[in-house]
Amino acid sequence: MSKVKVIPCSGIGKVYGLMAREAALKVTNELKPGETETVCLAHIVTGDAEAKEKIEGVSCITIDGCPMLCAAKSVAHEGGVVKAQYRTVDEMKKHRGIDPGTATALSEDGWKIIDELCEKICVNVDEIIKEEAK
Amino acid sequence: MSKSYAILPCNGLDKCAGCISKEVALRLTENTDSEIICPVLYRVADARYNKIASEKPLLVIDGCATRCASKLASEKSLKIAEKINVTDEAKSNDITIASGLRLGENELRLVDSIIGKLTKVEEKTEIESTFAFPENIQYETYSKDKFTFRVPKEGFYFNENDCWVYVVGNKARIGVTDYVQQSLQDIMFFTPPTVGSEIEQFGEAGNIESGKAVFELVCPVSGTITAVNDKLLEAPELINQNPYEKGWIAEIELSDFESDKDFLIDFAKYFEVLKRKVDEFHV
Repeated sequence: MSKVKVIPCSGIGKVYGLMAREAALKVTNELKPGETETVCLAHIVTGDAEAKEKIEGVSCITIDGCPMLCAAKSVAHEGGVVKAQYRTVDEMKKHRGIDPGTATALSEDGWKIIDELCEKICVNVDEIIKEEAK
Repeated sequence: MSKSYAILPCNGLDKCAGCISKEVALRLTENTDSEIICPVLYRVADARYNKIASEKPLLVIDGCATRCASKLASEKSLKIAEKINVTDEAKSNDITIASGLRLGENELRLVDSIIGKLTKVEEKTEIESTFAFPENIQYETYSKDKFTFRVPKEGFYFNENDCWVYVVGNKARIGVTDYVQQSLQDIMFFTPPTVGSEIEQFGEAGNIESGKAVFELVCPVSGTITAVNDKLLEAPELINQNPYEKGWIAEIELSDFESDKDFLIDFAKYFEVLKRKVDEFHV
């Protein structure tokens, strides 16, 4: 069975893009390394056959920084099955007034928000694995 | 309901959510002039449905997270006007969908709710469309570093607080300019003014907030608020995308526009104000 793909946007220049990438790395490297892996969005967008093959028909969770939803749209366009999609701006809405850090480094509060987001993503991963095992 | 859709439902025959999507499609065709596109036949022989798909706004109904109907629309490069996901709707309505394929009381309640939602969206569209807003707005742009600031060239008035007004007869639509949305960056919250409330020129007409700051809208005209852009409550980012069109803030019945006009500036003057602000503050 393929690992669940956790794919963040490539948003640079804003803290929300960094939040998306940090969340994806934390899930795939620390929290669920055996069940998940990430795929480079830029590689997917080039239409490269190898990248497309990794996601085609495979369960994916996308994490976007902003409402443009580059990750969710690009993954779906190349045939990935987007089982859950997140926008870090939505996570910020639940923490009004909190400073999450800068485009290059998250603050302590920013990491707390990422920890919460990662928990939700891990629940999604467990659900997907359970569903696929049926 | 006067508006009709080209409906592309999923073909989920083995799941209750799929059966609900079929029921929603069926009910809409009974109550409106909507037409169903069969997803199975469409995939193999799209010629039959291309006319419907090009003439009517497309409503995609997915049963589950696999989103077969959405994917099919994407494969065929169709522009989706409205999208419904039955499983998501069930969650937001706190309804548990049965495991069987027959629709019971709960499932029919969900169907009613989805039909109601689609109807409501339509009514809102009709209210908005009563304001004769121009379709092809021409913009002048000013760029600084990576930022581009648009200002509509004709028909708009501005105040120096970076808010605009577009007047048609005795009614007006108001909003903020690109300077505001570029300065705030990702807008996350929209607090609308109250419909029915009277507002003075330069009074506060709601506020918008990003991670950086809160901006109080300084109303360019006086009058009574008749409508607010409800879509911004769910998607305040529309202001970032275009604050002059989909990101408008509110509509006002004017009380004394001729007097208000003395304190407003036109495109040429505001464009100079904008350039000065951008150059001075290095947004």
